Amino acid sequence: MITRSRRIVLLIGVVALASAAVGVAQGQPFGMTRPPVAADGGFTQWLLIKQAEFYRALSGAVRAAKADGSAAWGLMSLSFLYGMFHAAGPGHGKAVISSYLVANNETWRRGVVLSFASALLQAVVAVAIVAVAAVLLGATAATMGRAVRWIEIASYGLIALIGMRLVWVKSGAFVRALRRTASREERNHGALHDGGHRHCSGHSHSGDCSSGHHHHSHHHDGGACDHASAWGHAHGPEPMELAGRGGWRRGLAAIVAVGLRPCSGAIIVLVFALAQGIFLIGVGATLAMGVGTALTVTLIATLAVAARGMAGRLAGARPGIGMIALRGLETAAALALLLFGLLLLVGYLASERLPGVF
Amino acid sequence: MSLGAMRGVFWIIVAAIGTVLASAPAVAHPHVWVTIRSQLLFSSDGAVVGVRHAWTFDDMFSAFATQGLPQQTKGQFTREELASLAEVNVTSLKEYAYFTFARADGKNALFSDPKDYWLDYRDAMLTLNFTLPLKQPVKAREFALEVYDETYFVAFEMAPKDPVALGTGAPPACRSTVRAPQELTVEQSRRLSELDAATPNIDDKLDDSFANRIIVICP
Repeated sequence: MITRSRRIVLLIGVVALASAAVGVAQGQPFGMTRPPVAADGGFTQWLLIKQAEFYRALSGAVRAAKADGSAAWGLMSLSFLYGMFHAAGPGHGKAVISSYLVANNETWRRGVVLSFASALLQAVVAVAIVAVAAVLLGATAATMGRAVRWIEIASYGLIALIGMRLVWVKSGAFVRALRRTASREERNHGALHDGGHRHCSGHSHSGDCSSGHHHHSHHHDGGACDHASAWGHAHGPEPMELAGRGGWRRGLAAIVAVGLRPCSGAIIVLVFALAQGIFLIGVGATLAMGVGTALTVTLIATLAVAARGMAGRLAGARPGIGMIALRGLETAAALALLLFGLLLLVGYLASERLPGVF
Repeated sequence: MSLGAMRGVFWIIVAAIGTVLASAPAVAHPHVWVTIRSQLLFSSDGAVVGVRHAWTFDDMFSAFATQGLPQQTKGQFTREELASLAEVNVTSLKEYAYFTFARADGKNALFSDPKDYWLDYRDAMLTLNFTLPLKQPVKAREFALEVYDETYFVAFEMAPKDPVALGTGAPPACRSTVRAPQELTVEQSRRLSELDAATPNIDDKLDDSFANRIIVICP
């Protein structure tokens, strides 16, 4: 517990420090169209303004890096900050990852890996698209726009599939939890079984293991899942299938689903760097954006895992109804994931458009 | 299913939809910056017949938009080399109503499809020139023209110098004024931050007080 909160504090500290550093370094807005926001305009608004400022400053930084190689470091820092603020703004990535973590009752460590891997994949995809389409094939912006559109569809489809699978698994667990409380006879056993499940599926972080020891590394691989038979009357796949070693494969699916769609800003900056003849510096900047994005997503994933952990502890205190609520929460998160995928697919939720030209 | 279970399922669905809506993408930051220069066009009898825009894109977006276009001389594009891009531009702008909204004495005036469009490339920046004819020529005491993107994907700003001109045929008494976007009020800031760019719901969008407004008064 202490380690986790310390990590959260550390992360928040990093974010605060970095933004403070930039405030000192930059001093003033970069010719923003928008007047600065009113002091009480709100945190979200501040984020939006900041990311717009950083993005606007990127073109100048790319040109500076072209004129003087040492200015590339300035470009990297700016890209990092842009990534950090941009990830906090619009975008479905964080929401999808958070829902996934809650639905799957993933550990904090996995949340971090997921966040970093998907953010870095996103950067790599942007680099790959521009490298292949623009550098190798000399394709136009419209062609890249079409390529992104296809990647987008694949990504959203994957999100919907993951959501669908989780809804199936979790609603099964939810129904079983309901049945168990419904039967007076089984009620006590049910509570016992629940305890067994929570222990064996390695969710020690959620704190439902009553031992009070929170060794982060001990329960991760879920190797102790011999108790799976406790769910013998199950009809769907076992929830613990999602944790443990095999779970990484599904984790990979989540990483790909979220990380597949490159950020429009990154592509535009990369093409601009290419036009300036400093494509590799642009690649560095894109990776820096990815790291910034990863930090923000990690922070949000941390909150999601912590909230899920708290829910787990609350549920642990009230075996019958608590378990139902917990499974309900997981089912809701899984359903949210499915909805995200579907709504993104049909275009109701739009992610940032990459203008073919507009 | 028991009543309790149904209630449980109901709340699960509510929670899921709530999560999705709460994290629906808010408005994006601008990815394109456009500097506007506009000329109001008049008929010989002094009616407004349309507007001629010259929009200059920022260098980063210009580089993106010209990527992969064939060119004779590196670093330069002729009007002909940019012709197909200009075509795509005006075609796709239609979806956004050309970001141009006109009102004659408070009444909406509609534009028809653009004509005479081309792109110029100067100092690594593209300028899109196009004429938007009004469907009906209009004589008005006050003609107001606004240019803005309500989703704030494109940030428009007036050219610092001579952003607006009155074409030949304008009654000599006509005067033009420009109004840069208003400072956002706290209420607007809040709405902007909550804006759901994805929902094509007019009521959900910002009002036009952050638009670039050109007002021509012909007494």
